[in-house]
This record gives sequence, C-alpha cells and structure tokens, in this order.
Amino acid sequence: MGDVQSRFPYAALLLALAAITLSGCSPKPPIDDGTLVIALPGAPSNIDPRLATDAYGTQILQMTHASLIRMDAAGNPVPDLAERWEERSPTEIVFRLREGLRFHDGKELSSADVRYTFAWILDPANRSPHRATYGTIRAIDAPDPRTVIFRLSEPSAPFLAGMVRGIVPIGSRAAGYSPPIGAGPYRVDDFQQDSEIRLSRFDGYFGTPPAIERVVVKFLPDSNVRFLELAKGSVNFVMNGVDPDLIPAALEHGNLVMEEAAGSNASYLGFNLRDPVLSEPLVRRAIACAIDRESIVRSLWKGHADLADSILAPGFWAHADGIPAVRFDPDAARRLLDSAGYRDPDGDGPQPRFRLTYKTSQNELRRQIAAVVQEQLHRVGIALEIQSFEWGTFFSDIRKGNFQLYSLTWVNIQDPDIFYYAFHSGQVPPEGANRGGYRNPEIDRLVERGRREPSREKRKEIYRKVQLLLARDLPVFPLWISRNILVRDRRLEGFEITPGEDYTSVKEMTVRREKEAGR
Amino acid sequence: MTGYLLSRLRQMVPVLFGVVTVVFLLIHLIPGDPVEIMLGESALAAQKEELRRELRLDRPVVVQYGEFLLGLAKGDLGTSFRSREPVLREILRRVPATLLLSAASMVVALLIAVPLGVLSAMRQHSVVDHLSGFLAMLGLSMPNFWLGPLLILIFSIGLGLFPVSGYGTAGHLVLPALTMGAGMAAILMRMLRSSLLEEIRQDYVRAACARGLSRRDAVLRHALANSLIPVLTVMGLQFGALLSGSIITETIFSWPGIGRLTIQAIEARDYPLVQGCILFIALCTVIVNLLTDLLYSRLDPRIRYE
Repeated sequence: MGDVQSRFPYAALLLALAAITLSGCSPKPPIDDGTLVIALPGAPSNIDPRLATDAYGTQILQMTHASLIRMDAAGNPVPDLAERWEERSPTEIVFRLREGLRFHDGKELSSADVRYTFAWILDPANRSPHRATYGTIRAIDAPDPRTVIFRLSEPSAPFLAGMVRGIVPIGSRAAGYSPPIGAGPYRVDDFQQDSEIRLSRFDGYFGTPPAIERVVVKFLPDSNVRFLELAKGSVNFVMNGVDPDLIPAALEHGNLVMEEAAGSNASYLGFNLRDPVLSEPLVRRAIACAIDRESIVRSLWKGHADLADSILAPGFWAHADGIPAVRFDPDAARRLLDSAGYRDPDGDGPQPRFRLTYKTSQNELRRQIAAVVQEQLHRVGIALEIQSFEWGTFFSDIRKGNFQLYSLTWVNIQDPDIFYYAFHSGQVPPEGANRGGYRNPEIDRLVERGRREPSREKRKEIYRKVQLLLARDLPVFPLWISRNILVRDRRLEGFEITPGEDYTSVKEMTVRREKEAGR
Repeated sequence: MTGYLLSRLRQMVPVLFGVVTVVFLLIHLIPGDPVEIMLGESALAAQKEELRRELRLDRPVVVQYGEFLLGLAKGDLGTSFRSREPVLREILRRVPATLLLSAASMVVALLIAVPLGVLSAMRQHSVVDHLSGFLAMLGLSMPNFWLGPLLILIFSIGLGLFPVSGYGTAGHLVLPALTMGAGMAAILMRMLRSSLLEEIRQDYVRAACARGLSRRDAVLRHALANSLIPVLTVMGLQFGALLSGSIITETIFSWPGIGRLTIQAIEARDYPLVQGCILFIALCTVIVNLLTDLLYSRLDPRIRYE
C-alpha cells in the first residue's frame, strides 16, 4: 500500500505532463489555417498613433490605423484616407477625404476626427512626443465632413511627411496599453503587452479587404528563439529579425524562403568636431580611408548591406548621384595623417600617432564591428579604445557630446529635412541631433532653404549640394545601409519589401494553397 | 508566535526603506534622461523642459525623494513614465506570470531534487550517487541562455511536444519552468544529500531500524523531515530569487514577468516603475524568508518562536 501511495504522485504527475503536452502542442502550423504569424524583435511600448515612437509600434500601426496619406517605397506621398490634397498656398494645405470611411467600430470617420487627432497631439497637456513634428500648424479647420484644412505659420516642406499619422476617433483616451481604434485593414482583437497582439480582418476597410483573415504579431526579443519559431512553423514571417549567421540554417527548412531588398537604415561613424584631433578634416578623412567597409559588410553582415555615400539611401528621391566615394586606402590614410601633423612616432613600432575612444551600444554585431574598426585603425597608427554601454547610458553620452567617435544608425528617414536636424549649427543637443557640433554656414543656409521650399525638384537640388558638402567635410562618415531581409513561409505571397521596413502591404498578402506552393 | 511575527514585520520596514533609498539614488545617478528617451531627440528643448516640469524631474533629487516616500506612505507608487499607467497596476499585471513560473520552477526543482537527493544519500558512493552528482554539476554549470534554446530544440522542434515560446497555456509553462528549475534542483539535491547523510548517521535512525523498521522507512519517515531544515532555508532564498524573475529565461521564452518589466523600465529610465518593481521584489523576498522561518517550527517542533 505504501508503495502505491509513494508512486501515486509521480504517476499523476506523468499523466498531468502528458495532458499538458497534448494541450500545448498545436497539431498543425498556423499557416495551414491561413494565419499569418509575424515575429518582431521587441514589444512596442505603445500602440497609440498619437504617442507611439518605436519602430515596433509604428509597424503594428501600419496594419491597424489609416493615415491621411502614406509614403511609397521612394518616399513619395500617396493617398490613404485622403483621396487627394492640394496646396492652396505654401501655408494652406487642403485634404479631401474618401467617401464612406469607417472606423473599426462601424462609426463614420470624418474631418472632425482628423482635426481631433492632430489637436490632441498639439495639446501640451497630452505630452505627445510628436508635438514638435507639427510645430508649424497654426490652425486646423473642418468645414465639412470630408474636408480638412491645415493652416501653417510658415511654409514647411516636411509637413506632408508628418501626415503619415494614424487617425483616431474623437474622444479617444490615451489609455495605457488599450489602443484606440483605427480605420486600417486590421482591427486589434487582443493586445498582451510583452507577449503578442492578435489582429483580425476589418471588413469595413475602405480599400480592398485583406485576404488573410487573422494576423498574430509575437514579440520575441531572442534572435535564436525567432529562428527556432520559424523552424517549427509557429512563426511564418520575420523581417530583419534573423541573424545573418542563421539565415542559411533557416533556409534549410524546406518551408522557408528568403527575400532581400534594399533598405534605408544608414549606419554611420560620428565624429566629435569639438575634439582637437577630430576637428581636423584630414584626420576624419584618414579614418574614413582606413576603414575597409567592404570586408566588414562581407564578413560581419554576410553581404546583407550596401556601402553608403550619404545618410539617404540610393532609392530615396532626395539622394544625390555622383557623391565622391571614400575608398579603402590605408596608404592614403597614413599620408593624410602625416600631412595633418600626426606622424607615427616609431614607424611600425607599438606607439600610436594618437589615441581615440569609440563608443557603441552592447549589441553584439555593433561590438564586433567596433573590434574590426579598432584593428583597421591600428594598422594606420591610431589606437582605438572601445567602450560599449547599455543603450540609455550610451545615448546619453552621445547627446551630451561626451564622445570622440561613435557609431549609430539613422532609421526610417521620411524627408531630407533630416539634414537640418542632424547638421544645422542650431541643432546641437539639447535642441536637435547635431551631436558632433558641426558648423558650416553654407549648410545652415541650404538646409533652412530646403525646409521652406515647396518644389520637390528645387529641394532635390538643394539637398544634392548638402550631400556633396557633407561628403567633403565628413562630419559623419556614412558606412553602410543594411538590406531588408524577409524570411517567410513559401506559401505567403504578395508582400512588398520597402526600404523603410513598412508593413502596409500585409493587407495585400495571400496564402497559396499547399499544392500550388509545391510546384 | 504573534510577538515574533510582529517583531519580524517591524524589521522589514528598515530593510525595505534601505532598498527603496538605494534604488532611488542609483536610478537617479546613472546616466540617461527619461525625458529624452520619452520624447526622442526631435522634441524641442522647451517641450522637454515642459515635460521635465510636469514629471517633477526639475526639482532637486532630495525633494523628489521626499515626494516619493510620501506617496509610498499613502500606498501610491506613482505613474509609469512610459505607459502612463499606475505603477501598481503595471506590476500586478505581471504578478500572475511571475508567480506561476516561480512556483512551477520550484515544483520542477523539488521533483528532481528530492528523489535524487534521497537516493544518493541512501546509496552513497553508488552509481546513482555518482550519476546524480554529475547531473547536479551539469544543472549548475549550464547557463539558462544555453539550456533554454537546447530544451526548445529537443522538445519543441525535435519532438514537437511544447510551444517554443509564449504565455497562456499549460504547455507554455513547461520549458521555462524546466530551464529555471534545473539549476535550483542541482543546489537542492546536493543540499538534501549532505543534510540527509548527517541525519542517517544519527542514533534515532539506528534505533528505528533496531525496532524493526526497514532502512528505507526509517529514512523516509524520520530522517527526511529532519534533514529538510537547511534545504528549506535554501529554498526560501532561491524562491525569492525566482520571484525577482530570471531576465534571461523570460527573454528566451517571451514570458511577461517582473524581470523583463524591470529591465524595460531601467532601459527607459522609467524611475517610478523601476522603484516599484524593485520594491515588489524586495517585499517578496523578505516575505518568503519570513514564511521560511515560520515553517521551521512546523518541520521541527523543538523550534519555538517567542
């Protein structure tokens, strides 16, 4: 009897484990039910379009919320909720909404909702991080349910790019993790912060309703786990979330395919121009010549990046052609350093010409890149000390100008007005992002003109000059633009990879049937 | 007993006060501006100043500390900078996942540790003893960031038994609980073995055997209970650590627990949330230790609290 009693708990536990096993395992992968399961490398801190700032929140909002306009792959504005728009004057822009627009709850979407959304952002009491984007808006009028008029205090070329903002219904509260409803192709059914968000097709969507009925977005911070989920089939769509090292292994699974397209996230090396050594343009050029970007792209990025000549991607409308490329040339680097007065004190001996510190985040790839740069600079006689910090500390140091060299990436550039923000002499933190303290009156004049100029052609010419000047002065050294890599189930079709990692075209996706996929 | 309980509860106050003070100072000392992180670089300097004023971050740290203590005395942990939700609600939302994973990991640890610990003590220097010693070494030396993916590879990908990651069903719980329970099982197993070995050599065990009890019954019915006190001490300490969450395990399995919340709060320099999370962890740890101490008297009637 004693034996039976002592064994019983273990027998019961084994049974319980078996039951758990059976309940836990899914008999077939979600793709078989036509469910798209996307993995994102992190959880959004907010999915209210008036407040969301991180990339993950933005990508979810592209599926759930509609804006007045959206941007196509080349950065050109295209209609979304607004069927057309016109500039009555440089300070008066009129949008005409489509007919019969509805929110996910079935209520009509009108110009009053548009006015409310932007007025909410502009209200200081709401502490929206996007308020500065709309600083030139003086008034918003909604003369009839389908017309919205934005009146600006001064001409603003980047204004249109700011209209990519999800519209919410009048009276929507900013209620923590409960997202306000939208008018996008998918509605939010359930949002588990830190875990996943479940979406379902919105049949009242103004465009063609999506073919895929259910979308699950899982937040998986561990890259190995994203790979394993793909391998198991419990995730069937990952964009830029599989380590370059793991991509070949992922493709060994017959059900997965990879697609690759040009990206827009530009990594660069930042110089502190207040530093006595780095204020010398010859030194900056020497450092640029000493870095073998091609070998870094080949060995660390496994070829999934393109060399950059500007912080704008080549496909972007304002990218300038004919920017002189900085070629890897260690001999030239040594000569430049010699002419700058930094001669190598002992030739090939251990003593460097000078020492610099290089700050980076704790991201593994970034640290590996830093180590390679350190070795390459050592070959031309520059001793580099690498300091890697947790993101908050790293970014705080960069903002305070507490660095000599650092590496960062510009993501999701929507408008060339980024040059004003990053290189105008009045944009040194805390006001802007001219972190290196670059000052050039010619650049100041051009970027000020560029943000007021309504003609795109004229703006293109202005920013061409800006990019040529920056390539000459090298206040930052553009390194490479990572390519966008999508690993997906081979049955998923119709997704268009855009340079900005846009998820808008999820609504165009279809699931091919097994037999067709096998052909 | 009541007097002892009250005295222990009184002792908790300075401990918790010390914890919140140290955390408050540390989080304010480390570089990183919550306003910059919230508004981003593009915000105007005036807008940042406005928000700094609104969040009362423009006041001297001493004043902020005083206000924090005042709020704490009223049971108000403040509002998260990041989510704008009350900190208490943020924490309570994560408590079920944290408790579930901690309890399941403890159950896993006990299921492995007790039988193997008892067997190795009863059959010292046998193959079982050596094998359990080897397993303990393995459990202790395998880091969670390696064990977690390994378990996923075997049980999720290879055998298809459990989901890879996530939270919600019983199946989701198994692998993270095994990952967290393995290391603890190793500690408990070795602790139980050495404690039981001491008890087995006591006269009362020999006397029980002399009265006709089998060696197994003498060990299981008498020696085991007495050997559990040091094991319980370790369990209490380990359970406290479990409640604070394992950042790595929670990250691997996308488990929405307190550990991940704390890390996210630190990264966002969400001061009220960091303070709230650490206070919760400290509170759980002292409560579990108190309960452990109270359990001693249950296991050994000779222990009395006056």
